[in-house]
This record gives sequence, structure tokens and C-alpha cells, in this order.
Amino acid sequence: MESNAGTTEPRSNLTASDGAQVTALESLHFTDEIHRLISAPVTDSSTSFMALLELPPPQAVELLHSSDSPKLLATSSPNVEDFKGSFHFPSNTGLIERDARFSGEANNSNGKRNSPEPKDLSANPEKAVKSEPAETESSQPLVSDPALEKRSIKRKDRENKVKGSTKKSKTAANESSEDAEKLPYVHVRARRGQATDSHSLAERARREKINARMKLLQELVPGCNKISGTALVLDEIINHAQSLQQQVEFLSMRLAAVNPRIDVNLDSILTSESGSLMDSNLPSLVMPVMWPEVQGNGHRQQYLHQWHVDALHQPVWGREEVCNNYITPENSLLTYDSSTNSETLHANQLKMEL
Amino acid sequence: MCPHTSLKQQFLKKWIMGLQRCSFSKKNMSILERKKTIKLSADIAMASARNGTTRWSRALISNASKDGSDNRLVQQILGPDSNTPAATTTNKAGTRRASVCKKIVKRSHQIRRRRRKCVAAAPVKAVTSSISEHLVRKRRQVLKTLIPGGEFMDEICLIEETLDYITSLRVQVDVMRSVASACFSQS
Repeated sequence: MESNAGTTEPRSNLTASDGAQVTALESLHFTDEIHRLISAPVTDSSTSFMALLELPPPQAVELLHSSDSPKLLATSSPNVEDFKGSFHFPSNTGLIERDARFSGEANNSNGKRNSPEPKDLSANPEKAVKSEPAETESSQPLVSDPALEKRSIKRKDRENKVKGSTKKSKTAANESSEDAEKLPYVHVRARRGQATDSHSLAERARREKINARMKLLQELVPGCNKISGTALVLDEIINHAQSLQQQVEFLSMRLAAVNPRIDVNLDSILTSESGSLMDSNLPSLVMPVMWPEVQGNGHRQQYLHQWHVDALHQPVWGREEVCNNYITPENSLLTYDSSTNSETLHANQLKMEL
Repeated sequence: MCPHTSLKQQFLKKWIMGLQRCSFSKKNMSILERKKTIKLSADIAMASARNGTTRWSRALISNASKDGSDNRLVQQILGPDSNTPAATTTNKAGTRRASVCKKIVKRSHQIRRRRRKCVAAAPVKAVTSSISEHLVRKRRQVLKTLIPGGEFMDEICLIEETLDYITSLRVQVDVMRSVASACFSQS
């Protein structure tokens, strides 16, 4: 790939002592990973995004940035030492050199250059971003992704920190930090013309963290991409979360209408199943068991569905009144209807609606 | 969603196990009680699938086990779990911290209000930003009520927990919907 060739060449000129020797190695690894990533089964944008979500939020954001943003800024110098948990922020000289180089670079090569850092040497997937040790602890179980994304994400996190300073200041107040993930300090560069006292820097780091996570939330909730402004985005997020909670309520009510003996059968089916449960295996196995046990409760389900559709359309913030409203009509429908004919009809309608 | 298959499987397994444990008492329950049991078991299964790593899951489990009537159910579903005592202690510490924080926040609000009155000719940008801050703050309050255990979280944690909570809600809805459609697909 010509872009890779283009990237390796400037990288060899970088000042980092450790980086130069692994540059060629990195580029090779990088092409492999890119191929793997491209050939990975990705059905649509939402699923690939879900893969992203299993990463800790800041890293995922950075991956998004690396794919979206047209203009990538300087990366940190590749430091090989202290691989297990640490990031190394770029030294001043490395940054300056990269500044000079970046202005002339194409976007793709920028992105590609940023990703190959010497991360493939570590066996364990890196979980901690140095500046944000806390949340990585909490989001560790979510991490289960290919190494490339992690690396580019960590890289991107460093880039984010550095972003403000590139092309602007050589008057950086803070040096790049060394050390392990346990470091409590957040090292941020001061932008040119901005205050460099610790409070405003900490405030800015905090704000950047919040903005990164908000962007991730925006990607997650459908339809938030085009909205600008935190308040409206939060509105959408709240609506989405509320609608999901209401869906859980409705689905549990729907399941409650079915005979409870189903659960035992499902369990036995599950234990025998080895593959993915979300395939059509589940309905086909459940079908011969369910059929004699399903009761006729078509009326209730129809009513439920109406409520389901109506409630979802309303941007209602208070959940309580909605719940109260739909519980009281349910009480009037508590009598079980054992007519199988109506049941089949309603089941068909439900299926089509879904 | 391919990447979430393991999570779905985990959730489904725990949910079915939990339902089995409390299914013996289901013969005479009304539909509302059944629905409550189903929802509770689904929520707890979802929360325990996180293994106590996220705050909302711990808060959800501790809230469910605080209530007297649901306590037995929760204990049944969870089995000999060590999460619950830890969750309650963190919540207590959280409440104490939260009350202290609330006092501080209230005081700072008063000070800010006083300061805002003093600033007579405030630039437009400051005024609009304060309005937007007000709006955002209101929405953050609503978000805190939505997420279980959200009142004790600061902004950063809140957004992270929202992310996790929304993904797990989605998984829950997907699994429940497929189970429900499997139940009623025979027609």
C-alpha cells in the first residue's frame, strides 16, 4: 500500500529512539490489522458501532475520530518501553517535528500513521488510558476487541490531549507524562493564549472528557448525529432511554401473559444449545412445546400493542403517568380468553406489527 | 447484533435461571404479579451480567433488595451472591456524600445567583451560555432519575453509565422480544 510506504518513511525520521527500530514492524502489523478489520463481518453501521461500544468510551471515541475527522493532528512519539499499561505523551521535539510534517499530509495517511504505534508487543490488551485510569477500571469487562482498535484508540486519546497545542503553542506548560496507568495526573497541553494555571487546565481536561463521552452517546442513540447542542442531544438520549424502559415493561407484560411452564422448557433447550441463541433455532425448538400451553389472550396483547405504539411516539418525560394509565385498563382485561381462534388471529397481527 | 451475542446469551441464561427459581409460586399469581416478576428477574439478570462493574447495575440490585417484598425474590434469583452487601454499603456512602455535595452545590448556586445579579452589563455570550447551562443542568437531573443510582454520580460517570445502561437495555429488549416472538410464533 502506497500510503503505508509513505507513512513509514516520515516515521523513520522521528526523533524517538525506540520508535525507529519498530517502525517497519509496525507498518507490517498495521496492514495486517487493516485487512483484518476490513474483512471482519460488519453488517451495518450500527453493529460496527456496537463493537465500538465494548471498548471503554474514550477509546471508542477516539477510534471514531480517527475514522471521521479529516484532519488528524500530531501523534505521540512511539515509545516502546513500559508497554503493559502506559501511554507516553509526546515530547516537545517530537511534537514539533510532527507538526511540520502533518500539514502536508493526506488525511488517510494521517490516520494510518497515527494508528501503528508499538502496541502489538504487549500480550495483554491494553485497558488503561493513562490520563483516565478510573473509567477503564469500570469499563474493563466491556473490552473484548481486536487489538487494532485499541491501539488506534489509545493513540487517538493522546492525540486529543495534544490537539490543542499542535500548530499553536510551543509554550507548553506541561511535559508529557511518563508512567503507568496508576498515574492520577492528567497531562494536558496549554493552548496558546489560554490560561495555564492548574484549575483551568483541569477544567479543560474534564470538559474534553465529557465532550468525548457525549459524542459517543450521540453515535449510540439514533438520530442524534445531526443535532447540535448538548441540551437537545440530552433530550434525545432521555427519550431513547425512556422508550427502552417502556419497551421492557411492555415485553415483560406480554411474556407474563404466556403460561409460565415455558420457562422450564426454554432452559432445557438452552442447555442443549451450543450455538447462538438468537437464531431461528430458538423459535423452532420452542414451537412444539409452546403450542399446547399458550393461552388465548389476544385482547390484552392487542391493547398492549396499541399502548406500546402510542407511548413511544410521545416525548413524555414523566414515566409514572404513562405506567399508571396503562395498568388500569389492564385490570379490566384480566380474564383469560381461551378461544384459540382469536389467539391465532391476534398472534398473526402481532407478528406483522413487529 | 453480532458483538453482543455473548452478552445476550449470558443475560438469557441468568434470566431463565431466575425465572425458574421463582416459577414454583407462579401458579396463582395474577398477571400483574407475573409481569413484575418477569421484569424484575430480567432486570436483575441484566445487572448481574455486568458482575458489579458498573454502578447502575449495583444500584439496581441494591434497590431491588432493599424493598421488603422483592427481597426474597432477589435473593432467590441471585443465589449466594456477594454483590448485594457491597452494593448497599456503597450506596450508603453515596447518600452521605450526596447530601454533603447537595449542600455545597446549593450554596454555590446561591453565590452564583448573587454574582449574576451584580453583573449588570453582561455580554450576550455569557447570558446565552448561562441559559444553555441551565437547560443542560435540567436535563442532567432528568437523566439522573432515569439511570438507577444516578443521583450519586458526577457528570462523567453519569454519561458513561448512560452509555452502558442504554446498551444493556437494548440487549434486554432484543432478547425479550425474540423470546416473546418465539412464544407466539406458532400460529
